[in-house]
Amino acid sequence: MSSTTDMKFLIVDDFSTMRRIVRGLLKESGYNNADEAEDGVVAINKLRNERYDFVVSDINMPNMNGFELLNQIKADAGLKHLPVLMVTAEARKEDIVRAAQEGAAGYIVKPFTKATLEEKVQKIMQKLGK
Amino acid sequence: MNLKDMPDSPTKDPNAPIVHQQLGEMARQLHDTLAQLGFMPKLGELTDCLPDARSRLSYIATKTAEAADKVLNSVDQAKAEHSRIAKDTQDLAEAVVANPVRAVASGAVINFVTDIEAATARVDQHLTDIMLAQDFHDLTGQVVAKVVKLAGDIEDQLLKLLIQTAPAGQPKFDPEVLNGPVVNPEGRTDVVANQEQVDDLLASLGF
Repeated sequence: MSSTTDMKFLIVDDFSTMRRIVRGLLKESGYNNADEAEDGVVAINKLRNERYDFVVSDINMPNMNGFELLNQIKADAGLKHLPVLMVTAEARKEDIVRAAQEGAAGYIVKPFTKATLEEKVQKIMQKLGK
Repeated sequence: MNLKDMPDSPTKDPNAPIVHQQLGEMARQLHDTLAQLGFMPKLGELTDCLPDARSRLSYIATKTAEAADKVLNSVDQAKAEHSRIAKDTQDLAEAVVANPVRAVASGAVINFVTDIEAATARVDQHLTDIMLAQDFHDLTGQVVAKVVKLAGDIEDQLLKLLIQTAPAGQPKFDPEVLNGPVVNPEGRTDVVANQEQVDDLLASLGF
């Protein structure tokens, strides 16, 4: 298992600006190793071909949305251990409950602060013993 | 055939086949009814504006993306500049503490002052760029106001049409169209208004 500093993140969001913001915030929190994907299809291909330690995913995306990506990750024996933090504008309770039931490790609603992202990432990693 | 060119009453022609007569009557009745309701000209006029609304929305997307990129680039550069200043300051402080006379005599102090002056000018330029990048708000705000007005006009006309023509019962809608950011969570019980409420909900689920 990777140490905190060399953990590799995959940021999945169809808006490049949001990917850049999340990447910047992670960097400021000491996580320098991050890659990006613009939708679930690109993300699942990357996850199956490269090693990642943490996924930060939007929900509303073309081609494959965040829930479909979450399901694919949790159904894949080689990936199901990966924590998936949903970062999304979806504020409906049914989406939050669904994300929790389908295996998301955390849920952040946009707009969010650096402190919120940092806190959720740390909390998830503590739970995983990282 | 344009309805305006149709004879006033197709039933006046005794030789016309009966089916054609009935179709003609139905077409005229439909045209007259819609014209009486007053929807056709206004709705037609509004739908003509839709391509313009689409291009306005694309304009907003483009302007906001450009502004976001400009701001993020400036922030990256300003932060790099800031890191350099912090490091140079620390280096100079160590040099002064170790040997003040040598630090001054070697030119380290005056070089530092010159470098800081240049660096702060660059940082100031980045801050100005960030400020200028906010011009998208004014530009897109005007465009948004126009699109909102158009949407309101269309909604108003469609609502009138719906009330006049819809069968009894609640109109159905696709819940997917409500996806995305919740603009106004007040008074709604199906959405959360902030991260605290998300955390409370997850906690109630054992997270």
